[in-house]
Amino acid sequence: MTLALALQTAALPRVAQPTVLFSALAYMLVVAVIAAWASRRTRTARDFFVAGDGIGVWTLAIAAMAATLSGFTFIGGPGLVYSLGLGAVFIVLPASLTNTMTTWTLAKRLRLLAEVRGLITVPDAIGARYRSRSAQGLAGIAMLVAIVGYMATNALALGLVIDAVFGTGLPAGIWIGSAIMVAYSAAGGMLAGVYTDVFQGIVMAAASLLVFYYALGSGGGLAGISRSILASDPTFLGPWGKVSPLGALSFFFVFGIGALAQPHVIHKFYMLRDPLRLKWYPAIMTLALMVTVLLYFGVGIAVKALVAEGTMAPLARADDATPQFLLGFAPVALAGLVFAGVAAAIMSTVNSFMNVGAAVVTHDLPVALGRRVHNELLWGRLTTVLLAAVAALVAQVSGTLVAFLGIFGWGLFASTLVPALAIGLNWPGATRAGAIASIATGLVSTLAFESMAYFRVYAFPAGVTISGLSLVLSLLVFFVVSRATRGQASDVDPDIRLVMDT
Amino acid sequence: MAARRGLTLIIAGTAAVALAYAAAFFPAAALRWAPWAMTVGIGFLCAGFMVLGAARPGRSLGPIWIPVAFTFVVLVVGLGLALALPGTEGPTTRLLAGLPPRAALVLYGVGLLPALVLPLGYALTFKRFTLDAADIERIRSAREQRDGSLP
Repeated sequence: MTLALALQTAALPRVAQPTVLFSALAYMLVVAVIAAWASRRTRTARDFFVAGDGIGVWTLAIAAMAATLSGFTFIGGPGLVYSLGLGAVFIVLPASLTNTMTTWTLAKRLRLLAEVRGLITVPDAIGARYRSRSAQGLAGIAMLVAIVGYMATNALALGLVIDAVFGTGLPAGIWIGSAIMVAYSAAGGMLAGVYTDVFQGIVMAAASLLVFYYALGSGGGLAGISRSILASDPTFLGPWGKVSPLGALSFFFVFGIGALAQPHVIHKFYMLRDPLRLKWYPAIMTLALMVTVLLYFGVGIAVKALVAEGTMAPLARADDATPQFLLGFAPVALAGLVFAGVAAAIMSTVNSFMNVGAAVVTHDLPVALGRRVHNELLWGRLTTVLLAAVAALVAQVSGTLVAFLGIFGWGLFASTLVPALAIGLNWPGATRAGAIASIATGLVSTLAFESMAYFRVYAFPAGVTISGLSLVLSLLVFFVVSRATRGQASDVDPDIRLVMDT
Repeated sequence: MAARRGLTLIIAGTAAVALAYAAAFFPAAALRWAPWAMTVGIGFLCAGFMVLGAARPGRSLGPIWIPVAFTFVVLVVGLGLALALPGTEGPTTRLLAGLPPRAALVLYGVGLLPALVLPLGYALTFKRFTLDAADIERIRSAREQRDGSLP
């Protein structure tokens, strides 16, 4: 089982109605205004990569939520629930605990590392923890591979949304969407990114909450929806839906533990102005995240019930669940808000990736090679444009390539970063050799296994998620190699050790 | 001590998940217990990461163990009951807050209860057990020392 089922690669139904067009244009206008404001305040590389580490906890939490959720939450996810039943909910189910777990494990230590060393990237933290440029460089390479795939997938998804709303055609949609994202990401960097993320996060949460209300209403409440589904397809509402128990639990494992190492989210911890404000971060982030995933569950089961009752025709493609529901069962103004929300979800995620990817190219890789880039701000901007152009090109040239690259994202971050970062920043016994071996294992196993599955060289057994398998392998390698090289364990700088002990 | 416990939980959880995946490569009989191994593994891992992250040398976890233990129990019992209870979903199934009982257990139990308890547990223990102004002062002093010692 690969994560290919989470990719949006097929065209959406046309929704080019005046209200939807107006909502989309109004949304773009607000993004442009925020970007213009932020670009005037971006003067240094620190402003560009970590928003001048000057944001508050509400901004941090809502921006992190917006970056966490991509367009999949609004389009692919409800379609997956419609197809697989409750088994698909295991992808978002860990949201109840991942934010607090990540905050305990990483937030304080990353923020204090920024305080003591002025770090600006996630590989920076790995480099400082293990006193290793190799570990920093390898982590950067792993992240870059995942980022290009993620960005290409999202560039394609944004192209599909723009085409559905404006009727531009897919190629033009991809380039228009990428150009908008580049404009505000290159000009305003992370400063523009976090404040557009906040606006985008609010749009996403509002859209989700309202759609959930209409979804419940369309089926006569949750009980009415359940009754309709149970009459025709009881397995759908079993705890695992149409997925095997091991498959559903495997989703929980990958998306629960993998959440500890999503660089576009945890990188934002560096930006918090006052570390003491972390106190309320899990509460705000968890609430925002759970409100925003209501649509994922609500539309999926409402459409299933409507089809079961005969009120809606069976869907030709699962990804049509949200558009068809909005066009048939929600006010047209809400459809406009949701399509703005989809664009917001995609853009907020891609913007974060652009920034993190640009930091890898202009900061982490040169540091790994023992060099420093002069004028990181200028090179950061240029790299942002370059990464976006590569992603748009890949998205336009080959849908197959996009699908192939897109499946790496989440799993690659999880398998390469969870052991070295989430455990390494908390366990003095972790060693440089253990970190390098686990990052390499995660990188090689994810790429090899996903390639084998994608090209049908080998079919993994039912219930085995490749990302999960790679994560387990890299964890085991991390422990075994750290144990075998435990003589290196004391090789930690005193200030880093102080952060680990605080 | 708490960190060691957290690490032990993570290692045990990793082993349990590895066992679950390994079982999937073998005949169907092994698949019966593979989800149980995965359930226990998830519980250990989530609790282990929280304990490892919250632990500080020379200090106890204090009341932090309460939300962590609660989450472990919710995960293992909630997912375990979903595995153990017979699948009786059908048109006449009695609903629990709008859902069949096993689905309600997963969605309201695993998907909701930790969201109510964990963030509150984190906030209420933050100042005494996670971070206070004195900690930040120590970190800033270390930065000044380091800056001063750099050529």
